[in-house]
Amino acid sequence: MTATNGITLRVTELKKYYGKIHAVDGVSFVIPSGSVFTILGPNGAGKTTTLEILEGIRVPDAGEIEVFGVRVKQIDREVKKRLGVLLQDGNFEPYLKVKEVVKLFASFFPAALSVEEVLRRVALQEKGSAYIRTLSGGQRQRLAVGVALVNDPDLIFLDEPTTGLDPQARRNMWSVITNLKEQRKTIILTTHYMEEAEALSDYVCIMDNGVIIAEGTPRELAARLGQETIIEFSAGSIDTEWLDQLSSFGKGVRKDGEIVYVETEDLVETMEQMLAWSREKRIPLKNMIVRQPNLEDVFLSLTGRKLRE
Amino acid sequence: MKGILRVAQAHLLTALREKITLFWFLIFPLFLLAILTLIFGNMGAEGEISFAIAVVNLETDTAGPVDFAGIIEGVFEQAGKPSEEGKEPLFVISSPASGEALEDFLTGEKKATRFGDRAAVIVIPEGFNQCLLLRVMGDGPSSGPDCSLMIYVNEGSAASGMATSIIDQILAGVERNILTSMGRFQEQQAIPTETLWIGSSGTEVLYVDFLLPGIVLMGFFVNGLFGVPGSILFARDKGVLRRYWVTPLTVTHYLAGFSVGHLMLCLVQFAILLLLGRFAFGATVTFCQPVSIFLLLLAAITFLAFGFFVASVAKTANTGMAIGNILNMPMMFLGGLFFPVAGLPLVLKAIVYVNPLTYLAKGLRVSLGTEVGTLSVSMIAVPLAWIAVCVAVASWRLSWDVER
Repeated sequence: MTATNGITLRVTELKKYYGKIHAVDGVSFVIPSGSVFTILGPNGAGKTTTLEILEGIRVPDAGEIEVFGVRVKQIDREVKKRLGVLLQDGNFEPYLKVKEVVKLFASFFPAALSVEEVLRRVALQEKGSAYIRTLSGGQRQRLAVGVALVNDPDLIFLDEPTTGLDPQARRNMWSVITNLKEQRKTIILTTHYMEEAEALSDYVCIMDNGVIIAEGTPRELAARLGQETIIEFSAGSIDTEWLDQLSSFGKGVRKDGEIVYVETEDLVETMEQMLAWSREKRIPLKNMIVRQPNLEDVFLSLTGRKLRE
Repeated sequence: MKGILRVAQAHLLTALREKITLFWFLIFPLFLLAILTLIFGNMGAEGEISFAIAVVNLETDTAGPVDFAGIIEGVFEQAGKPSEEGKEPLFVISSPASGEALEDFLTGEKKATRFGDRAAVIVIPEGFNQCLLLRVMGDGPSSGPDCSLMIYVNEGSAASGMATSIIDQILAGVERNILTSMGRFQEQQAIPTETLWIGSSGTEVLYVDFLLPGIVLMGFFVNGLFGVPGSILFARDKGVLRRYWVTPLTVTHYLAGFSVGHLMLCLVQFAILLLLGRFAFGATVTFCQPVSIFLLLLAAITFLAFGFFVASVAKTANTGMAIGNILNMPMMFLGGLFFPVAGLPLVLKAIVYVNPLTYLAKGLRVSLGTEVGTLSVSMIAVPLAWIAVCVAVASWRLSWDVER
């Protein structure tokens, strides 16, 4: 069940200050019901504080929160009955069993799914009698998701759900989130993985220094970079002088490790110049690919930093 | 309500499944109970302490009317035999080997006393019978070397001191019997005395009955001082509490559940200590009196509050453990849990007077009849005052990692 106006959460001018530090400085956004809304931002951008306010752990200094069609000053017990929260740094008592943990959290809500149903949803049926301390990282994260879903919530917070997981466990988590999308649950997601944000998000907002600097669908955000195309190749060690030469072929150039990115709005012209330059300088353009800009490029152009820095 | 009970259950299960918790909450108190009972449990029981002594009778003139030397030697020989109930004799008497000269035997026994192998050597000198007879009849000198029994003891030995005291009492009894039998002493003129044994039979207080309430309180104390801050600070530091705060569970609900779980843990601890105390160590106290039950509950709540206090002044679980250790020893040993705390220097007495353990231990023992005294208001008021202070400080300072 979601709000009747099709909006699950509306945040207006949300503020949270710690002395002179403006952790959240007037953040506003709207999350339509049944959508996946992703908040991106480097460390210290204010996304965790924003999330903690919306999860009910912190109290905002100013701003309005409208959740499920009701205006509240802060997230209270009544709202929490309809929230499901996967914390980034939360833990369980290591000496409890999986079933006991699910029962414990189920007891906090007036209505909850059965233990079996929760474990089925996160594929942990065979681990019901296992102690928490014996679970792998991926299994613990799945249990955390299960606990977040124990009350069959309408609004779900997933704070970096795949951080620290191996590729297989990450894929499993994506599958769980995709299932939630199919159930038309409203999800607020934070992640450090751009491909995750692109694959799962309906809307993305990018935060930096406590404010939102860009917002839209992944496609809309990528379009902010105009008609650009990215040419990537592996260069090994390369002189700064040569980078300056490359930059004259396109709109801009940057280097990250051994990878060189050349941005251009005229792909054919830039490619011809680069190939001639490669022959002349005897620099092979290894592993060269041509692609459209993605969220990482958008994030970089907006903040000057990579998301995982 | 359902949530509170589940939190209580989770706390109890976690505590009972954690090995380190089990050691401190159950194994350590039991270990202490066993050790102290074995060391001090038999003190004061009749015939359970025995002293190695030697009686060297150098008197050769036994033809007189009374062989006083023989009587004294016989009394000590009798004291060296096991009682009819099979209890250990008071003395283990060493005798000269067959054919061994008495002088050589005496030299050897003195040497054994010097090395602590004998508690005392009693020497009856030659001419003792004649001299003593003259003295009893009032015809001889009032004192003289021949009339004196010589008792060799080791000055640095506690056993020598205790044995000398017992030997003096036996000799006084022998002397009185001799004087009475010779008409020189009127029994009815003697100051009447009656010896009442404590710790031997009947209505006496066994040491284990004195100790068990102290061990139970110590269990509650350790449980509160280490278990409460350990659990709360670990849960806070590791983000366990955060998971609760994003649900409808409030801090108040959590505290209620945690407290119920803690009291259940104390109940389990108490039940195990009581059962083992009674069936393994022979304790007779039952803790069935309403006042005793009330004081046990008060103790558990007091130390729960103490735990909240420690959690509120410690920033991390490790700091909490360190603070607990600093408070643990002085409070435990200056609370009269294991030994009486009378006769301490003034500084230490101050700790005794403000220590809630002092009042709880005294109150519990008085209510159980294992200590002399009367119940007083302070036995409840002092712990209640501590609860008030601890809860006030904890409410003010304890961080739950959530804004309210």
